Parts: sequence; structure tokens; C-alpha cells
Amino acid sequence: MKKPDTQKDDSVLFVGIDLGTSRSSISASNDKREWIESFVGWPRDFIAQQVVGKPVLFGVEALENRLSLDLCKPLEHGIIKEGIDRSEDAVKEIIRHLIELAEPSKEQKIYAVVGVPSDSLKVNKLAIRKAVAEFVHSLMVVTEPFAVAYGMNLLNNSMVIDVGAGTTDFCIMHGTIPAEEDQKTILAAGDYVDDQLFSYLSEKYPNAKFNKNMVRQFKEKFSFVHETPDEVQVEIPVSGKPVMHDIRNEIQRACESILPAMVETTTEMIAKFDPEFQVKIKNNIVLAGGGSLIKGIADYLQDALKEYGPCKVTCVEDPLFAGSDGALRLAKDMPSKYWETL
Amino acid sequence: MISPFTVKRESKTRESILKGVYEENMKILGKRGSTLARPRPFYIRKVFLTVAVTALAVFLHAQYGSAPFSSESQVTAGLIAQKAASPVVARSSAPPHYPDVSGFKAIMHEPGMPISRIFGLGVKTIMIDPGHGGKDRGTMGKLGTREKVLTLDVAKRLKALLEHDGQGRFRVLLTRDRDVTLPLDERVKMALDKKADLFVSIHFNYIPAKPINIIETYYFGPSSDEKALKLAERENAGSHYGMSDFRQIIEKLGETMKLQESRELAASIQNELFVNMKREDGIVHNYGVRRAPFVVLLGAEVPAVLVEVSCLSNRAEEKRLDTKHYRENIAHYLEAGIIDYMKKGDIGHEKTRYAKR
Repeated sequence: MKKPDTQKDDSVLFVGIDLGTSRSSISASNDKREWIESFVGWPRDFIAQQVVGKPVLFGVEALENRLSLDLCKPLEHGIIKEGIDRSEDAVKEIIRHLIELAEPSKEQKIYAVVGVPSDSLKVNKLAIRKAVAEFVHSLMVVTEPFAVAYGMNLLNNSMVIDVGAGTTDFCIMHGTIPAEEDQKTILAAGDYVDDQLFSYLSEKYPNAKFNKNMVRQFKEKFSFVHETPDEVQVEIPVSGKPVMHDIRNEIQRACESILPAMVETTTEMIAKFDPEFQVKIKNNIVLAGGGSLIKGIADYLQDALKEYGPCKVTCVEDPLFAGSDGALRLAKDMPSKYWETL
Repeated sequence: MISPFTVKRESKTRESILKGVYEENMKILGKRGSTLARPRPFYIRKVFLTVAVTALAVFLHAQYGSAPFSSESQVTAGLIAQKAASPVVARSSAPPHYPDVSGFKAIMHEPGMPISRIFGLGVKTIMIDPGHGGKDRGTMGKLGTREKVLTLDVAKRLKALLEHDGQGRFRVLLTRDRDVTLPLDERVKMALDKKADLFVSIHFNYIPAKPINIIETYYFGPSSDEKALKLAERENAGSHYGMSDFRQIIEKLGETMKLQESRELAASIQNELFVNMKREDGIVHNYGVRRAPFVVLLGAEVPAVLVEVSCLSNRAEEKRLDTKHYRENIAHYLEAGIIDYMKKGDIGHEKTRYAKR
């Protein structure tokens, strides 16, 4: 087999970055792998700056200090809100921070592949390139589900469903780089589940005091569909006193709320292909993103799609890094002649 | 076992996908993927650019290289070099980075080694802040002299002196040049925006209980002195922060460069002010350099001091302050303090200073 002509010496650090709505991760060719929550916070004024002691904060740290900060979740709903400087600045900060976490040496060139939500690549291609370009020597931007597919060697007759926070992205692979019609994005995703769960819980327990952040934590800890656990108990304060609440039904309803749209989009996209390939694709569906951690989601989809013939749905092993690992593999495989001209 | 045919086919698929990714990204940039097939023009362009830049540099050097440097350009050149060398004064549009100063502690505590010299810091912009203004009139003497009027007058005089004597070597700016209300955080923001290298806030004191006249100069820091805290509370009135907000900040600030430099600046100003004013008022008290949590001194990441020039509550002092001549003198003393700070570390200057005593 012909060896790819990429540079393999230490003068280049290859990085794969998954720029997500909720979490962003980096995988580098020096074996560093790091992730942060995609929150950026700037101190509100000079006093706040002295209190937090840093000019910019990320992830959990930013959330914890949110009262002193201007918080920004730059890729909310899967796209950068263009024209709002802070969103673009926030993307820059996240990229800068992630690259710092990968600890490149001073002399190393950085070649990066960045995976972004599909809609974001459609809407703000240039903005993303601009935000990333100043921290790397050469850069390629791809969609998240494509990066996952490439990393898992799902190059042909397969489908990746990336259930993120802001959007769920679908991507069908058929041996070439996916065209626009091979990709689709819907808004039924993690944030939608949070909103549903919040409204169900507010309805059922009107006296309980909780916020969106708590609801997200409940979801991340207990989410399930398909198989029903005996009970799901969480502690929520009522009039200042901690009280145990059963939220099993609400969790199930909220998690299931995104499934009909997912099933519909999957069948609709597969139906466009030649029937011979339809069978192959249906037997090669992979779920990625934070949503793939919902217990029983693969089985639920598999059951729902069985109506249209046999199918197989699996989940990626490491949803947090599947995108950045795939982007890193792309970066490493990319011939150096391509890097040099970008 | 995977057949060699499958491996070859997969490798081909991969190659075509990689090419596809590359071409997509070229499209985003508005370039055509075909650039690859013609690498020479790019190379030639690069060579042409290099030659052009070199030629321009040689030409400019021939034009201006032999001309003698004026003192101003020396200062500017020095400052540029300092900016490149020093992580502390480096400023760019990027968010400021807070250097970890712990590593410098050893050299900073070396006696007789002025910090500004260690880092080669220079002063380019001086921001003078006339205290109070507009609706905030500050204190008022028994004869009706207002603090806000005095601070503005002295500040303007100080600005003129520094500009005249500095012969254009530094920029001197005022936070306000007329009688306007200006919140404390805006004053600080102004110092940050204008990239001030020194910040001097001018105030006049008022001690109702005693008819004494005192001079004191403050820099930001914790204070256990109740009077100093009260004064800070009074001067902080324009901000929405309370004393308790500062505890955390003070703990974090610790013994940073900024505080050490501020102390040096405060010492210079206090010394010049007291020595000279003693001649005008034999019984003026030297309350020295002190620390207190003034909002206006906190924000600027450069040496910042607050001078309480003298006491408006002292009737004789108020009468003196009413004369232009006296206010001009005060501006001279303040200028001398600032210049003294800027010259600290200059070996020749140290010698003349000690020889004077």
C-alpha cells in the first residue's frame, strides 16, 4: 500500500477539534486529549476581573463564576450568531484555550481539522475559518458527523447521527465527501430535551425550586428511553427544604420527545438512495454526540426502524472524543501538499 | 482476512475523500483547488515579495538610517523594544494576560534594585485624574473653596508643566478637563483605554475634628487604619462597590509588581510634596505613604496613586490654596515627584539624590 505523504516528524502537531454547542474537545498527535464545556465568560468590569483573577474563563469555571461574568455559549442552536462580536470572540477563545491544552511546543507548526455542527458550516464557513486561523498554521473545517464517520472508518454506505446539544446532525457516507443533500440538521436535540423536562417538572412540582442547569444535570445522569428503570429520585428544594422527587416519567417523556423527528429524518434520508444501498446503510447506523448516552436510544431507534426492514443501530464508544479523534485522523491522513496550500 | 483488493479500494476512497475535504476548504476561501497543480506561481510570488520588501528596507535605511536620532525617537524606540522584551507591559488587542509574578520575586526583593529597571519599563502616557467633578463636588472649605475646582486647576497646571518640561517625550492626559460628573469606573476605563503608564489622582483632604494640615499619598492595598478606610469610603462614593468587595481582591493582589511600583511612585510624590510644602507651611504634617482600598486605584494595571495634597479644613491652607501662585507651586511639587519616580534606578540620579541630603 502506498504510504500517505503527510509529515510525520515532530515539526508539526496535528490536532482534531470538535467544536460543539455544549462541549468542545481536542485530540492531538502528541496523544493529548482534553475537553471543556463550550462556555466562555469575560469579567463584567475591572472589579470582577480582580475577583476572578483571569481575563477569560471557560467551561465549569465560567459557570461557577457566572455572576461576575458576561457568559457566552457561542454555538447556541448550532451556529455562530454573526455580527455579534462576542460570539466570534468566544469561538476564538475556545480554540485558543483548546490548543493551549494540547501543549504544542513553540517550534511546532499546528495543522488543525475542526469539526463543527453541520448548519454552522453552511451558515458561517468564513467566520469559523477566521476565528480559528490565527492560532494555527493550516486549517480545514468539516462537519462533526463527517469527522466521526471518517474516524470510525465508516466511509461507505453508512449513516452517522450526531445528537448534540443544539442540533441533531445526520450524515450519509457513500465513498465521497458528503454533499449538502447527504446531510441534514434538526433542532430536536439535547437542549430541546432540557426545555421539555423543565416544563414537565414545573408542571408536576410547582413548588419545587430548580433551574435549567439542574435540569440538565438530571438529564445527563438519568436519561433513558426504551427500558424503564424502577424509579428515578432526585433532590429538589421546596421552600428551602431538600425533598426527594420521582422524575422517572418526566425524564422518559422528555427524552422520547426527540425520537419521532429522528426516526422521520432517518427514513426520509435513506429513502432517497437506491434500494440496494438502503439496506446496507440501514445496517450501518451509528449514533454519536452527547445524546447517544441516553440509555436505550440505539435499541429504540432500531425497533422503530424495523418497520422499514432489518437494521442495526450502534453507539460510538466515546461520544466526547469521537468527533475530535476523527478530525485528528483526517489531519494525520491529509497529504502535506494539501496543508501547505491552505 | 481482508483481501488486498478491499484494502486498495478503501485507500482509494480515503484519498478521494481527503481531496474532497481539501477542495471544499479551498472553496470556502474562494480559491480553486487547482492551485495544487501549479505550485510555481505561488513560489515565485513569495520570492518576488521577499525581494521587494528587502529592497524597500535597504532604500529606507539609506534615506533615514544616517540621520541622528532625536531624544523623542530614542524614547519611542526604547519603548518598542521594551514592549517586545517585557511580558508585563506588552499590550495588544488580545485580552490581557496576567503574568505569574511569583517567579520574579527573588530579584524583586533584591535591595536597591528598582523594579522598573529590571523590566526596562518606560513611561509614555501619564494620566492625571482631577478628583470629583460635576454633581460630585468633593469637600468644601469653610470659606467656600470647593475640592472639585481645586483638583481640576492643579491637574491642568500639572499637565502643562509635564508637557513643557517633558519636551514631548510623553503624553499627558486628564480624565476630565472641565467640571463634569465622572464615575470612578469611567476614570479607570479611560486609563486602560488610553494605555496610561502612570495614574495620579489628585484630591484634597478634610479633617473636621482638628485644625491641622496634613499631606498623605495612597496606593491601593489593605488598610487597618480606620481613618484611611473612612477616607477611601468617602472617595469611593461614586462607585457601587462596598468595602467588603475588596477583601477578596486584596488577598488575590498580594505583593504584585503594580503595588510595589505604586508604592515607589507614592513615595516620590509624597517626599517632594512634603519637603517643599514644609517651606510654605512650617507646621504641615507628613502622614507618609499609605495603603487604602480606593476604587480608582484598583483598575489600572499600572502604578497608580492618590494624593491628598493638603487639608481644606485648615483655614490658613484654604487661604493659600486660593492663590494661583500656591496652586502653581503644588503642581511643580507633584511634577517633581513624578519625575523623581521616573528617574529612579538611573544610577546618576540616585547619586545626585543622595548627595543632596
